[in-house]
Amino acid sequence: MVEEGVRVVRCGGSRLNFRRAVFSVDSKYIFCVSGDFVKVYSTTTEECVHILHGHTDLVSGILVNPSNHLQLYSCSFDGTIKLWDYVDGILIKTFTIGPKLHAFFIPLHAEDSVFLTISKEEPDIFQLVSVKLPKSTSQDVEARQLTFVLDYINRSPKCIAFGNEGEYVAAVRDFYLSVYFFKKKKTCNFTLPSTKNKKNAKNKFTCVACHPKEDCIASGHMDGKIRLWRNFHSDQKYTYTCLHWHHDMVMDLAFTVTGTSLLSGGRECVLVEWRDGSEKNKEFLPRLGSSIEHISVSPAGDLFCTSHSDNKITVIHRNLDASAVIQGLVKDRSISTGLMVDPRTKALVLNGKPGHLQFYSLQGDKQLYNLDIIQQEYINDEGLTQTELTKAAFGCSGTWLATVEQRQENENELELQMKLWNYSKKTQGFVLNTKIAMPHDDHITALCFNNAESYEKPILVTASRDGHFKVWILTDDSDIYKKAIAWTCDFVGSYHKYQATNCCFSEDGSLLAVSFEEIVTIWDSQTWELKCTFCQRAGKIRHLCFGRLTCSKYLLGTTDNGILCCWNLLSCSIQWSAKLNVRVMEPDPYSDHVAAVAQSSAGSDLFVFKPSEPRPLYIQKNVSREEVQWGVFVPRDVPESFTSETHQWLNRSQFYFLTKSQSLLTFSTKSPEEKLTPTSKQLLAEESLPTTPFSFILGKHRQQQGAKLTETSENELVQLPLTENIPAITELLHTPAHVLPSASFLCSLFVNSLLLSKETKSAEEVPDDVDMEGNKESDDSDEEYDLTEKDKETNNNTDLGEDAIHQLSKSEEKELRKFRKVDYSWLTAL
Amino acid sequence: MAAGGGGSYDPLAPAGVPCAFSPDSQAYFALASSDGQLRVWETANNRLHQEYVPSAHLSGTCTCLAWAPARLQAKESHQRKKRKSEVTGTKDQADLLALGTAVGSILLYSTVRGELHSKLTSGGHENRVNCIQWHQDNDCLYSCSDDKYIVEWSTQTCKVKCKWKGDNSSVSSLCISPDGKMLLSAGRTIKLWVLETKEVYRHFTGHATPVSSLRFTTIRPNESQPSDGITGLYFLSGAVHDRLLNVWQVRSENKEKSAVMSFTVTDEPVYVDLTLSENKEEPVKLAVVCRDGQVHLFEHILNGHCKKPLTSNCTIQIATPGKGKKVTPKPIPILAASFCLDKMSLLLVYGNWFQPTIERVALNSKDTHICLERDISNCWAPTVETAITKVKTPVMNSEAKVLVPGIPGHHAPIKLPPAQPKEAENKRKLGSTEATIEERLGAMDLDRKGRKDDLQTNSFAVLLTQGLESNDFEILNKVLQTKNVNLIKRTVLRIPLRVVIPLLQELTKRLQGHPNSAALMIQWLKCVLTIHASYLSTLPDLVEQLGTLYQLMESRVKTFQKLSNLHGKLILLVTQVTASEKSKKMTSPGQKAKLVYEEESSEEESDDEVPEKDSDDNWDEDEDKDSEKDEGVDEDNEEEDEDMEDKEENEEDREVSSEKELNGDSDLDPENESEEE
Repeated sequence: MVEEGVRVVRCGGSRLNFRRAVFSVDSKYIFCVSGDFVKVYSTTTEECVHILHGHTDLVSGILVNPSNHLQLYSCSFDGTIKLWDYVDGILIKTFTIGPKLHAFFIPLHAEDSVFLTISKEEPDIFQLVSVKLPKSTSQDVEARQLTFVLDYINRSPKCIAFGNEGEYVAAVRDFYLSVYFFKKKKTCNFTLPSTKNKKNAKNKFTCVACHPKEDCIASGHMDGKIRLWRNFHSDQKYTYTCLHWHHDMVMDLAFTVTGTSLLSGGRECVLVEWRDGSEKNKEFLPRLGSSIEHISVSPAGDLFCTSHSDNKITVIHRNLDASAVIQGLVKDRSISTGLMVDPRTKALVLNGKPGHLQFYSLQGDKQLYNLDIIQQEYINDEGLTQTELTKAAFGCSGTWLATVEQRQENENELELQMKLWNYSKKTQGFVLNTKIAMPHDDHITALCFNNAESYEKPILVTASRDGHFKVWILTDDSDIYKKAIAWTCDFVGSYHKYQATNCCFSEDGSLLAVSFEEIVTIWDSQTWELKCTFCQRAGKIRHLCFGRLTCSKYLLGTTDNGILCCWNLLSCSIQWSAKLNVRVMEPDPYSDHVAAVAQSSAGSDLFVFKPSEPRPLYIQKNVSREEVQWGVFVPRDVPESFTSETHQWLNRSQFYFLTKSQSLLTFSTKSPEEKLTPTSKQLLAEESLPTTPFSFILGKHRQQQGAKLTETSENELVQLPLTENIPAITELLHTPAHVLPSASFLCSLFVNSLLLSKETKSAEEVPDDVDMEGNKESDDSDEEYDLTEKDKETNNNTDLGEDAIHQLSKSEEKELRKFRKVDYSWLTAL
Repeated sequence: MAAGGGGSYDPLAPAGVPCAFSPDSQAYFALASSDGQLRVWETANNRLHQEYVPSAHLSGTCTCLAWAPARLQAKESHQRKKRKSEVTGTKDQADLLALGTAVGSILLYSTVRGELHSKLTSGGHENRVNCIQWHQDNDCLYSCSDDKYIVEWSTQTCKVKCKWKGDNSSVSSLCISPDGKMLLSAGRTIKLWVLETKEVYRHFTGHATPVSSLRFTTIRPNESQPSDGITGLYFLSGAVHDRLLNVWQVRSENKEKSAVMSFTVTDEPVYVDLTLSENKEEPVKLAVVCRDGQVHLFEHILNGHCKKPLTSNCTIQIATPGKGKKVTPKPIPILAASFCLDKMSLLLVYGNWFQPTIERVALNSKDTHICLERDISNCWAPTVETAITKVKTPVMNSEAKVLVPGIPGHHAPIKLPPAQPKEAENKRKLGSTEATIEERLGAMDLDRKGRKDDLQTNSFAVLLTQGLESNDFEILNKVLQTKNVNLIKRTVLRIPLRVVIPLLQELTKRLQGHPNSAALMIQWLKCVLTIHASYLSTLPDLVEQLGTLYQLMESRVKTFQKLSNLHGKLILLVTQVTASEKSKKMTSPGQKAKLVYEEESSEEESDDEVPEKDSDDNWDEDEDKDSEKDEGVDEDNEEEDEDMEDKEENEEDREVSSEKELNGDSDLDPENESEEE
């Protein structure tokens, strides 16, 4: 096996809610930005259909090409606009603009010009410019001709809206609304009257939306009001009406396609539909889970979607029924539980929605479910102290789950609760077994189960800042009413009133190591006697772990002033130490390897080593620019068999880590080419559905042809001409038109390939073949014709050249001739 | 011929409903139920992923289904720049699902898009499609039907590539060889076809009834000599109404036509899954789901003939939990089973077809019979809400144990410092003291008879004693709910010493209850501890007996701990001083010891008590100083206005802790004291 270098790959968890999601025209797909990619999801199955990758920085805006509904524009911080074919997931064109693009807009009737938000020289001052996208056949186009439109705008795309078929653009910033009329080339500015009044200082604009048909602008405000502006053509005569339901800021507004109702959402997690622009007539969709950041409406008008702060997109029917949820890795808040692996499902487990644990499938890069641990209705409001899930641990191959939740309003009032959940095989779910109020007097810093199989009774250890660690054991709690088991405290240990910071069990469960600030104590797990202490006086202990398998006699510890120590438990002495500012240290549960991620000025570096020797087996410098916060080894389903020393650590498990911006990364040995088999090898099934009456006409013709062929060779073995086996044809048919060389060049090649490939073929069959090809091509173009007339014209003109047109028109003639022969009598019968 | 789910019943139709796991990672489970609906379930979280109803689902019921080999999700873009982090989203993802119908058409359904992808009809089958197989390498799809034909489809063009007569009767099952060059078909006999030329390569006898499943069990032939990729391979077949699964071997000579060996199961096999063995040594693992709802597991190294049918290594059954004698356990049928990638666990689908439960079961036990107890009663109500919000709510019922500070179990039980051997001794002693309580009970009655006239004034003390000894709730309530402090004091003063500990335990129990009653109990506790401090301090096993009380108090006085500790100590001192002064003045109610053991150097009883007391106090102060040194800084912010409860509780807790230590010290002569009692 050829072993490639180990590379860092992103495996999910980018923000889906950075910008408004966009629907395709037929509402079948929904597009959303996701880091450097654009993802195409199906609205019915919630599955990711395509990932469009090509941008080198965050994608900051996406829009469906108004002149071709099968194409998608995207703009990015890397200063380019890209045009995609989303059905096949292919990049068509790249327009290089230059400066960082923050947002972009395409009004309906603007010819080939798009509007962009860019920053001026000074930071935080943004302007709206328009740029003409040149028509060109080449794939890379430069378009640097920027025309200035508006100055001093907000960078968020929510604060700009084009209204009434692109006649004007409305932009809001702070307390100002400015409307620029393209025809008159005039700007009208409106200031909220209450700005001078300090009482109404929360009047700031937050978002704006324009009515699709009428001259009406809706604006959302910090204080929860929505204002509908009319008559804004002159500076004096304008009027506005106020809609007030939200008690907190309005995060986004959207008009429905017909403009009859307005949708608004905010921190209340309620989607409000205002009908006819009146305050009385409103409908609600409550309990959407977390604050609504964006609202978008499908062009067909049958679906809405809301993007939420917990990295979720909810697809909502027109009658306000949530129909699908596209959920990424929840990343609303800080991850305090760290990364864990559920031993039963092998899912990644971490903090999810507030008060929930999320189970995330790494294979499918999607969320499996959220487990509601706190079970309190989450009230999303600023200034409320929430109960937070701070620690969790799995024990005994997933049968036990311990969770710690805390709520701290101020310094002295700490509410702590520990819950122990038992996985009930009968009902296939977790059942609360023991609830412990205030298990410690201060924050719990660490939580670990004794996972050794030799112990029949599970043991849980909690370490706390109150200077104690408690040992909890499972005991019989039966009484005359029921048979039960419950957890009780068995032992409380402390060491000179130092804060307990970490705890961990050795692999066989015989020893417990607890660190008290600078000191590591080793306890016998049978008698809970203090066996020995290690004190390095090198700073507080940050991580602590025992070696595994062959290295089980070693104990590793890292300190917060950058020292990694390894103690030998047999000699009770320090084996080796190294100067390394370790941020994350994780032992592989299935091998003796330990991974440590160290923070340096340049970035984070990964070191993989065995505790038995101070020499690292593998070093990967600069795995990420940001600080790495958590890491975990996830066991592989099927172990790999790398032999080289640098790869061995990837055999049994895979290392995943989470950075500060909460993107989930991992290491892969596969080269990108290996993962992407060439398109020719792909199994691409042609879509063929006899559905519409129109296609029946075509279908009948096809069937007749098919029948003819089958007639010739009754029940005998029929070998149909295998056109798809000729490489030139498949190449021609399956390569997108825009990447093909000119048709004049292809034509001879194509015909030659047909002639040469089957030398033995009789002369009769050859034209038949060509005929079929011609038909197929015309079918294809027909399809395209149905959907986008314009596009086809331009494409044919530019890409295929005259020869192709000639050929096509020939085959079309043939087609038309056949059409005339087709019997249409059934139509009259209808 | 009857449609699979139609009204008429075909006795030779295979039992079970067409269903299949998605290839590779088994992320999905597709099931075409008899009402014509296709449902796809997520195996990882047992959630309904999608539902699809074909337009002609009533006339053309789905008869078989097959997942396409995993396809690549994202295509290569034309300009890929080298970047540090790349997407790994280009993973294999199961997408296309081929559905064969009772009317002969084949539907290709895209599970990613949730819509029908294509329909293969023209030039295809005229009757019920029995089996569909995707070719693993190219775009071919093979199907067989009741119309006796086998059809090779091209999925790229959705056209028939080839159609040939497979048998003289209906062809019921197909399987493609591991190298992709051969095809097995089962009709009246089992035939092995060469795919390139569509010629029969070998014949096998087959079964008497239609073959419902065909699977190759080995990838590489066992023989060491170079082979053509097919000779020496084994394959497995199961048939309708046949309790035997036969294994056949492809031989180089065309003579052998009978089965090499066979596996026996309890009922007709409805779903078969196996792990392919890649080398000679690795056994083939076989999971057979039978119509009776059991799964039989076989593990066998295929190596030539075996005449006797093999029985299963392990049988898995699932049943509902029975509740006592009223509800008897009922079996839950297993519908499908599939080996996970690691070959060590099994995905089981069980329950009813409309709401099956999918579970991963690890196969590490050596038992020959596994019966899993599962409660699927809640599965009957499909929760739509979960499907959309993806929130699972774990069960929180009242049966869960709740531990709050002070309740036993919240904190470690207080044990004596010495380890187990000592503890055992203590326990024995505890037993002996209990025995003495009984003795004392007997003695009590005698006592009372003896001095009935003395007890006129303190009926409360008598009541309390009676209540404690008989554990009578009403009497205890009557006594303990007094609010009169003086009455409490007098009563406590008059109770016999032997009921002090039971009283304390009763008080502890009541303290854990409602706060209102706890407030009353505090008065009692205070009195007991101040008056009987000296007695308590002599008890050797006091730490164990009153540990709970100590912890309870510890947790309740947490707020002003240091201050109330000091307060408690002072109160104890003061009351002891005044009490000793009083006792000089008035004679305490005579409590004669039942037995007086006199050592040679025996002193008077009162003398004996005083030095003990002193040592107690001394120790107390020492400890106090220590603690103050340690944490003196914290005390500044403590406020003065502590309420009565705190005070009272505190002295008690100090008391106990001091006693604990004392016991540790005076461990040498516990025997003496117990005898004295």
